[in-house]
Amino acid sequence: MDTLFTLATLAAAVRLAIPVAVAALGEVVTERSGVLNLGLEGTMLFGALAGYLATLATGSPWIGLGAGLGAGAGCGALLALLMVVVRADQIVTGLAFTLFAGSATTYLFELSYTIGQPPPRIESLSMVPLVVIVLVVLVAVWFLLTRTSAGLVLSAAGEAPAAADALGYRVARVRAAATVAGSALAGLAGAMLVCGPLGLFVQNVTAGRGWVALALVVFARWRPGRAVAGALLFGLCDAAQLRLQGTATQIPYEVFLALPYVVTLLALMVRARRSGTPAALAVPFVRGPAR
Amino acid sequence: MTLTRDPAPAGQQAPDGLVGKALRGPADRSPLGLVAVPLLALLGALVVGGVLMAVEGVAPLSAYGEVVRGVFGRTRGLVDTAVIATPLVLLALGITVAYRARVFTIGAEGQYIAGALAGTAWATVGPLPGLPAPVLVVSSLAVAVLAGAAWSGVTAWLQSRFGASVVITSLLLNYVAAAVLAWAVRVGMRDPGSFTPQSRQVGDAALPDLPGTAIHLGFLFALLAVPTVAAVLRRTRFGFRVEVLGANPDVLAATEARPSRTRLWVLAVAGALAGLAGFVEVAGVTGRMTQAFAVGYGFTAIIVALLGRLRPLGVLAAALVMAGITVGFDEAERVFVIPSATVGVIQALIVVFFVTGDALSRRRLRRREGA
Repeated sequence: MDTLFTLATLAAAVRLAIPVAVAALGEVVTERSGVLNLGLEGTMLFGALAGYLATLATGSPWIGLGAGLGAGAGCGALLALLMVVVRADQIVTGLAFTLFAGSATTYLFELSYTIGQPPPRIESLSMVPLVVIVLVVLVAVWFLLTRTSAGLVLSAAGEAPAAADALGYRVARVRAAATVAGSALAGLAGAMLVCGPLGLFVQNVTAGRGWVALALVVFARWRPGRAVAGALLFGLCDAAQLRLQGTATQIPYEVFLALPYVVTLLALMVRARRSGTPAALAVPFVRGPAR
Repeated sequence: MTLTRDPAPAGQQAPDGLVGKALRGPADRSPLGLVAVPLLALLGALVVGGVLMAVEGVAPLSAYGEVVRGVFGRTRGLVDTAVIATPLVLLALGITVAYRARVFTIGAEGQYIAGALAGTAWATVGPLPGLPAPVLVVSSLAVAVLAGAAWSGVTAWLQSRFGASVVITSLLLNYVAAAVLAWAVRVGMRDPGSFTPQSRQVGDAALPDLPGTAIHLGFLFALLAVPTVAAVLRRTRFGFRVEVLGANPDVLAATEARPSRTRLWVLAVAGALAGLAGFVEVAGVTGRMTQAFAVGYGFTAIIVALLGRLRPLGVLAAALVMAGITVGFDEAERVFVIPSATVGVIQALIVVFFVTGDALSRRRLRRREGA
């Protein structure tokens, strides 16, 4: 174990945790308003591609991050249109969007460079600014949810949409805004993945991190601080797994591959009854007299 | 008769219990309405795909001609289509049962892996070596079915005991299954004679081809499963309970069946079909388990089930179309310079258009009914 928890492993853990943490924070915002966004993984992918292409074009990874944020917001607007305005089934819509994103980003990426040449690397940011961004997003989300009246309205839309509606708040608008904001953060998370130490886009670069973020939101019981802590735990498991792959140890590295998910499952078992699930999560809100 | 309430309070069931309102709400039940939206979605996706290819400098009509020739113009095309459709049909039938009951599992991928692993383990390193081939095939399939059902049953247990959402737990279990797969082919049931991590060949447990074709027996299973699931849904008490659970769990609770019990059976059936699909794929196609075994059929099958309108016959049609598009484009890519992601974009667009079109048509109906 002494070789396992070196400084390098810890640094890798933080690096792996960063995009997951930001995406999970975005999903906390979205889910607190009552929208379950299974399109998170796809949104991250679009954000990653936008971040890569923008950095490639301008040479500035900061512009790349901005592009990721914008692409995420665009995906969020589309998802909000389908899930909140048209009231298509949230689970189906999210799944369909993620599937679409997997193929569409691959297609666009293949168009962006000539086949045969390796795709060019991009200028990348160091860990420090990325960590700062995570902390800023964490504080902002925490402040929004717990210290502002906007945060209260957001939670009301997720817990008791009918009551929020009776008080004169437009539930659909609140949910649409929360979806766009959460997706923007997911897009930013994707961009942080490629504009960070990786400095490269590859097919399906997110590799399930959006799904991990979704699980972390449940693990974190919809609290921003715990979501970041969960992301760190995931990063630690991921780093341990990567490290063990190269060494001959008694512990199979697959244990660490499964560990984040098993821990989340166990966390669900301990107190799922008082899990803090927004009462109206994934329930479309229909305005009008009760039926 | 007592009114048994589910242990979990209503609010926490919301993610699974109420999601499907939009999916099952006032829908156009006429035959035209059932088929029109999926067909329009297919057409729309093909048109967009054609535009993409035209931008790329490929004549769309000749490319699509090649796609059609790739499927119907040669025996191999039809064989490949049937072989690819086989796991999709079995998986999507299981999802159909679950979604009709409004139990939204997305764990088919994990159950598929679990079934394949258990069946392969039984056939290659099982406790009874030297079984005659037919016994080995049947017993391996049974093991796979049980493993898939058990893997899926965990989600039902987590919900009834702890009130944990099926959507989330089934998703998490997919990753656990993927990790088990990685370990199994690297250590657990690795072929000691192989350099790369993979299991032994299933040998005698391999499924024979249907007489006179190059299609393995699993396709017949898939074809037989279609009327079987249809009959079960339509004619049996279980099928009735599935419909009632999907319509209103309180009504089911008020009659004689516990919703949590029915939910367990629904998930077990879905898992059993997924497990069957998993081992059928091993015994019919791959011959052994490798790291690359899981290619996401469990997720594609959700699409197939939805496009098939949660009806067994529709599922069969949707699976054949999806498989045909895959096979046809494979062939067309040999002739034309088409980015390999094009087919994925088209398939994904079918779903996006379908979801949008379906929601819009329901909205229109709601408006017309003045609800």
